[in-house]
Amino acid sequence: MDFTERSTRVYRTKQLFTKEELAAREGLCVHEEPPFCSAACPLKLDVREFVRLCAAGDFTAARAMLERITPFARVLAAGCSAPCAAACRLNEVGEGIDIAALERAAMRYGAPKSGRGMLRFRKKKRAAVLGAELFTLSAAAEFAQKSYPTEFYVPQADAADLVRACAPFLSEEDCAAEAARLKAMDLKVHYGAQITRELYESCRQSADILCLSRGAAKALEPAAEPDEVTLLCEALGALVRPAGEEDVLTALTDARRAGVSADRIAQGMDPATLRGEEGAVTSRLYTDLSGVAPSRRKTAGHALPTAEEAQSEAARCVQCSCTECLKACPYLRHYAKSPRLLTREIYNNAGIIMGDHMMNKALNSCALCGQCSVVCPNGFDMAEICRRARENMVDTGKMSLAVHEFALYDQIFSNTEALLARSQPGFERSEWVFFPGCQAGAVAPEAVERAYSDLCGRLPGGVGIFLGCCGAVAKWSGRTELWEETRALLANELAKLGDPVVIAACPTCAGVLKEAGIPKVRGLWEVLLEIGLPDTAPQEGARVTLHDACGARGDHALQQAVRKILHGLGCEVTESELSGDKTPCCGYGGLVSCANPKMAKEFAQSIAQSAQGLPVVSYCMACRDRIAREGVKSLHLLELLYGADAGSPPGLSEKRRNRLKLKERLLKEKWGEDLAKRPLGFGLTLTEEARALMEERMILDTDVIAVMQHYHDTGEAVEDLDGGLLVTRMRLGNVTFWAKFTEDAQGYTVHRVYSHRMTVETR
Amino acid sequence: MAGEQKTYYTIDPEGRLKCCKCGVPLVKANAVFGYLDNAFPVELPVCPVCGFVYVPEELAMGKVLSVEKVLEDK
Repeated sequence: MDFTERSTRVYRTKQLFTKEELAAREGLCVHEEPPFCSAACPLKLDVREFVRLCAAGDFTAARAMLERITPFARVLAAGCSAPCAAACRLNEVGEGIDIAALERAAMRYGAPKSGRGMLRFRKKKRAAVLGAELFTLSAAAEFAQKSYPTEFYVPQADAADLVRACAPFLSEEDCAAEAARLKAMDLKVHYGAQITRELYESCRQSADILCLSRGAAKALEPAAEPDEVTLLCEALGALVRPAGEEDVLTALTDARRAGVSADRIAQGMDPATLRGEEGAVTSRLYTDLSGVAPSRRKTAGHALPTAEEAQSEAARCVQCSCTECLKACPYLRHYAKSPRLLTREIYNNAGIIMGDHMMNKALNSCALCGQCSVVCPNGFDMAEICRRARENMVDTGKMSLAVHEFALYDQIFSNTEALLARSQPGFERSEWVFFPGCQAGAVAPEAVERAYSDLCGRLPGGVGIFLGCCGAVAKWSGRTELWEETRALLANELAKLGDPVVIAACPTCAGVLKEAGIPKVRGLWEVLLEIGLPDTAPQEGARVTLHDACGARGDHALQQAVRKILHGLGCEVTESELSGDKTPCCGYGGLVSCANPKMAKEFAQSIAQSAQGLPVVSYCMACRDRIAREGVKSLHLLELLYGADAGSPPGLSEKRRNRLKLKERLLKEKWGEDLAKRPLGFGLTLTEEARALMEERMILDTDVIAVMQHYHDTGEAVEDLDGGLLVTRMRLGNVTFWAKFTEDAQGYTVHRVYSHRMTVETR
Repeated sequence: MAGEQKTYYTIDPEGRLKCCKCGVPLVKANAVFGYLDNAFPVELPVCPVCGFVYVPEELAMGKVLSVEKVLEDK
C-alpha cells in the first residue's frame, strides 16, 4: 500500500462527536468539580482557595474573599455555622480543617480593603427595606451594592444599635466596625422609624423593590409566606425571608437571593427565571486520601486562633482535587490539562476548517495505552478519544504523512520483505503458530529463534512461524484502510497455515490479533506455563523490577502467568508503584515515539525512574527496548528464559536488518533455503557522526544506500570546495534524502545525512 | 529585529560550490519549494547546465523543517 500526501487546500471537516457524545465523555471527568467544602458553602466561597491563602499567610487576600461574598464579613466570621468544615474530607482520617476559626483569623489579621472601589452609577429603580433583622440589614446592603437607591426604615436609634439588634453575638469591637461599614454604604437609613401599614403602603407606591423583615410581614399579613426560591411574597409584593430560625449563614444567603430577585424585578422579569445555581451543591469530586496521615486541629479550640495557629491549621489542608490521571500519565502531565479540557480542545481541533490545528501534536502524543481509564475513578478513556480523532483526521485528509510515515512503512516492511509465515518443516498444516511480534525480531532475534525451536520440539501437531506485524501501527495511526488490508493479510496467511492457534509473545499483538477477528489467540507465557519452562531456563534468579506491558492491561491471567514464570526462575520480583492494570506505557504505544519523540522519552524515563535501581524485566519487546535506552538494565522475559541477552538496544536500521536476518536464518536453518543477496556495486562506510544523525533524523541505511546508488549510477553531486565534501541527493517516496560524503579507492564514506519533505524545482 | 536578513540562504562566497557532473560552479537561481500544495519561491544554488538544485543542510534542517511543521498543522 502506498500513501499519498495530503493537501492543505482541502477544507473538509467531520464532527468528532455529537454534542451528546461529547457531553457524556466530558461528564466523566470530575477535575473541575468544586471541592467538598466549597460545594457545602451556600454563599459559594471558594473555601479551598481561602484556606490556601491562609496557609500562605496572606490573610489580607483571604479577608478580601470574605468581603466579596457578603456585605458584613465580620458578622459572617463571628456567626458562620461552617458547613464547609463538616464537609471537609480530612474528617475521614482525623480532624477536618477549622474553617470557622480561619474566617475569624482572616478578618482579624487581614488588612481591610483600601481605595474607594469602582465608580458606580445609581440605577433608576428604587428599593425600600422595612424592619430590622439580619436578613433585611444584609439585603439593604446588597441592594445598595447593586446601586439601587435604597431607603432602609428601622426602629433603632443609630447604626451601632441596629447592628447590635441584628447580630447580638458580635463583640463590641466588631459591632463598631460593622456600624462604621454600614455608615460608609450608599444607603439611606431612617432611624427611629415606626414600621406601620401606612409606611408599608407609601413604600409600596414609591419603591420598585420592597423588602420586609419577617416580623413586619407577619404584622401586616399573618398568613402570607414567601416563595422558597425567589423569597417573593405575592400577597405583600415584597421580599421576605422564609420561616425558620434566623441562622447567620441562612440570613446572609437569603439576602443574596433577595438581591438576585431584586435584579429580576427591576428588569421586569419573573424573579424565578435565570437565577443560576444558588446555595449549597453536591460535589462529584474524587480525592484520594490514601496517602494522607491523620492530623488534629492546630487551633486548640480557640475561637480566635493566633496568626501562627491559623496558618498552621490552614497548612493541614490537602487542597482536594482529582488528579489521578495526571499523577499516573506523563502525557497528561506534559500537557497539564484535565482530560475534560483536553477532550474539548481535541473536539474543537477537528472542527477547524482553515488555520492552525493546535491540538494535532497533542492528540498524536497519547500512547493510547488506556492507563487513564483504569486510574480514573470514572474510567475516562483518553485513548478512545485520541484514536478517533486520528481516524477523523485521516478521513478528512488532515493527517500529514510526516507524523506516522516512518512507522507505517515499517509495518509494510514487516509484512512484505520481512514477512515469514510457514508451517513447521515436515508439516503440511500447523496446530500452532508462533507470533513473536515485529519488535521481538528487531530487538532480540536470537531469543526468538531459540523460543521457536523450543516450541517446535515440545508442542505436538506442528508449530508454524509468523514473522510480521499484527497491524497495531495501522490502528494507532488511524489508517483504517491499512488496518483492513492487514486484517485480510493476517487471515489469509493464517488460513494457509491451517488456521492454527496463534501463540503471541507480545501482549499488544495478542490484543490486536483478537480485534482483527483471529479466533484462536493465546499468550506465549500461559502456553509455557502449561508445557513447563524450557530446560535451558536459568534457576539462579535475581532481584528485578517487573514492568507490566500496557498491552496486558486487564488481562490478569497473563499478568499472573508472567509472575509465576519469574518465580519459577527464582527471581525476587519488586512491583513498581504502578503495576498490573495501572502500568504506564513505555512510549512506543500509540506511535508516540514517531509523532513526538520527546514525549515518548518522558514515558520511558518515568518507568526507568521507578525501577529502584534494579534491572527491569518486561514481557513486551518495545518496553524492553525503550527502557534500555534510558540507561537502565532492561531484559525481556524471552531473553531471561532462553539465556539470550540481546545487549544494548539496536538502532532503527539495525532493527530492520535484525528482522531480515532472522527471516534469512530461519529459512536457512529450518527449511534449507538461501535468500540470494545482491551485493552493492560499491564500498560504503558510515561514520559515527552519520549513524548518530540517522538515528536522530530517522533515516535508514537502506535510504543512504539508495542515495549512494543513485550517485554511483548518475554521478550527480555538488562539491563543496570549503568543506571538501561531496553532496548528493535522491527523492524516495515523499522525502528527499541528502548525503555528504567523500570518495576514495575503497568506495564512499558518508559523513552526514539529512532530509526534507519539501519538493524543490527550478523555475 | 532591525537588520535581520530576510533571505533564507545566501551563497557566500559565490563559486565555492561546484557541480561534479558538469564541472561548473553553481549559480544563484530561482527555485520553488513545494509541500502539501503550497509553493514557496526561493533563490538557491543551481547548476546552470544540468539544473541540480542544492539544498544545504542548515536550510533543510532549519527553515525548511520549521515551515514543513507549520504546514502540517494547517
